[in-house]
Amino acid sequence: MTFLMITGRTVNQGATVENKTSAGYAEETSTCFMHEFDMLELGLADQDAVRVAGPCGEVVMRAVASDEVEMGTVFVPYGPYANHIIAADTHSTGMPDFKSHEVEIEPTDEEPKTVHELMEELGGLAYDR
Amino acid sequence: MIVKDVVCPFCGCLCDDIEVDVAENRVVAVTNACELGTKKLMGEKRMKNPILRDGDTWKDITYDEAIRYTVDMLTHAERPLLYGWSGTHGEAQCVGVHMAELVRGVIDNTSSVCHGPSILAIQEVGHPGCTLGVVKNRADLVIYWGANPIDAHPRHLSRYTRYADGFFLENAFRDRKVIVMDVRKTETANIADEFVQIKPGGDYAVLSALRAIVRGKEDIVPRTVAGVTREQLIRVVDLCKAAKFGAVYFGLGLTMTRGKYKNVRNAIELVSELNRHTKFTISAMRGHYNVYGSNEVNTWMTGYPFGIDFSRGIAFYNPGETTAVDILARKECDAALIVGSDPAAHFPRSCLKHLADIPVVQLDPYPNATTAFCNVQIPVAVTGIDAEGTAYRMDGVPIRTRKVLSTSYPSDEEVLSRIYREMQEAQAV
Ligand code: SF4
Repeated sequence: MTFLMITGRTVNQGATVENKTSAGYAEETSTCFMHEFDMLELGLADQDAVRVAGPCGEVVMRAVASDEVEMGTVFVPYGPYANHIIAADTHSTGMPDFKSHEVEIEPTDEEPKTVHELMEELGGLAYDR
Repeated sequence: MIVKDVVCPFCGCLCDDIEVDVAENRVVAVTNACELGTKKLMGEKRMKNPILRDGDTWKDITYDEAIRYTVDMLTHAERPLLYGWSGTHGEAQCVGVHMAELVRGVIDNTSSVCHGPSILAIQEVGHPGCTLGVVKNRADLVIYWGANPIDAHPRHLSRYTRYADGFFLENAFRDRKVIVMDVRKTETANIADEFVQIKPGGDYAVLSALRAIVRGKEDIVPRTVAGVTREQLIRVVDLCKAAKFGAVYFGLGLTMTRGKYKNVRNAIELVSELNRHTKFTISAMRGHYNVYGSNEVNTWMTGYPFGIDFSRGIAFYNPGETTAVDILARKECDAALIVGSDPAAHFPRSCLKHLADIPVVQLDPYPNATTAFCNVQIPVAVTGIDAEGTAYRMDGVPIRTRKVLSTSYPSDEEVLSRIYREMQEAQAV
C-alpha cells in the first residue's frame, strides 16, 4: 500500500539522540507510526515488522498504531531508518523532502537492522566501546 | 554540590534556570530541565580518547596524532566540507569559518536541513520577530504552525506561552489562546484552543486563504482548503484580529514539506497582513541549542548564514549548490570535517555513501552514527557541561553557557584552534 511518510522529533528520539548506539534509539527511530485502520488493512498487529520502500531503497521497521496520524500517512521519528530511503534531491534549497515522501509498505518476516548494520551496509565501520 | 542557573544545552529554548547536582565530578541529578535536557546533562558513554580507523578495526591514538591527521587531511583536500556547528559554542564556530577560508572549503551548518528554508524566506521579505520574553509578557494569542513543542521544545509552553503567566496576563491559561496548525494531531494539538488539521502539503494554500480572509476577501475562499473548512479559517482570522498581541512560531512542518521556503514566506506575509489590524510577530522554533548561533557567526564573518563556499577566494553562497546534502550527493567534496552534529543519522543515504569514500574527521564527545564513517574521531568537552561558551537562543539572544564539571577533555575551540594554527604553519612552509 502507498503512504505518505512524515518524519519528525519525538520525546524518546530526543532523549536517546546522544546515545545512538543504544537499543532505545534504534527502537524509536525504526518505529513506523500508522493509523489503526491502515494496519488492519495490511493485517498488522502492534510491533509487527514492515518493509518500507522509498525512492532510494527499502528498510525494515516496526509498525505501531497511533491516533496522531491520519489514514494514508505514516510518521517515523527522524533518524537513520527513515533517512535510509529518502532521496537527496533538495530542489535547489539545501533541504531534502523529509516530510513529503511516498513510500510502499508491506508486512515482512525480516527483523529491523541495527543502526550499526545500516551504517556498515553503506561502507562504515561500527564502533562500540 | 548544587549548581544553580545552569543553561541547558539541548534545544533552542536554552532554558537558563536548571539546577544540577554534581557529586564526584559527575552529574547525579537535574532539576527543572525537561526529559531531553536531563538526559543530555546526565549523558554517559563518552568516548575516552581519539580513535583512528585502521582497515577493519579501531585504534586508540593521541590528541597530537588526531590533530596532525586533521591538519594533513584539510591542507591536502581540494574541496573540503566543514559541516555541523550547531552543537558547539560560538567561539568554536568562529575558528571553523577561519579554517574554511584558509583551505578554500565549504562551511555549512545543520540549518540547511532544519530552518535553512526559513532563512531564505527571511532574506526575501524580512520578519517581524521579538524575544521570548515579550511573548511571555504580552502575547494573548500564540500560533504553533508545523511545530510540536511538547516533543521538540518541551518547556516552550510552560516558560513562554500556554502555561506561563506574564506581566500583562495574570492567568495565562485563561487569557492566552493557543492555535495549532498541523498535519498531525500531536500532543501539542491536544492542548490547543483551536486545532486546525491541514492535509499534508497544504500549508501554502491554507496560508493564502487566511491572507485572503484577513484582506476581507472571504467570499473567494473555497468551502474547504487543504481539508480545512472555510468556517474554521474565518474563525482563526477572527481570533487573530481580536488578539492584542499575536505570536506565530513555526517549525519544520513548513520548511521540510512541499513549498519549503515559499511556505515560510507566505506565513511571514500573513503576519504582515495581520499587522495592519493588530500587533503580530513570527519566529522560527530553532532545534539545536546553538544552531541560531552558527547562522549568526557565519553572517557576521562572511555575510551569509550557511552553505558558504570559499573556493573562489571570497565567500559565495547558493543553497542547493553549496549546501552539505547537495555536495555529498554529487560526490563533490574530497574530505569532511564534522563538528557538533551527526550527519550519518540525519542525511539521506546517498550522502553517507560518499562519506564512506572520503577521509572524515569528527569532533564529538559521543560515539554516534557518523563515527562509523570517520577516519578519526576526536572526543571533546560538551559545551554547557564541561566547557563554557556562547550560544544563541531561538530568539537571537546570546547566552553564556556554564561549565558544571571539570574534565580533561579539550573544548571544541581548543582543538579547532590548534588545528587552525598548524594549518597556518603548514601553509606558510
Ligand atoms: S526545553 Fe530545551 S532548553 Fe529547556 S530544558 Fe528542555 S531541552 Fe533543555
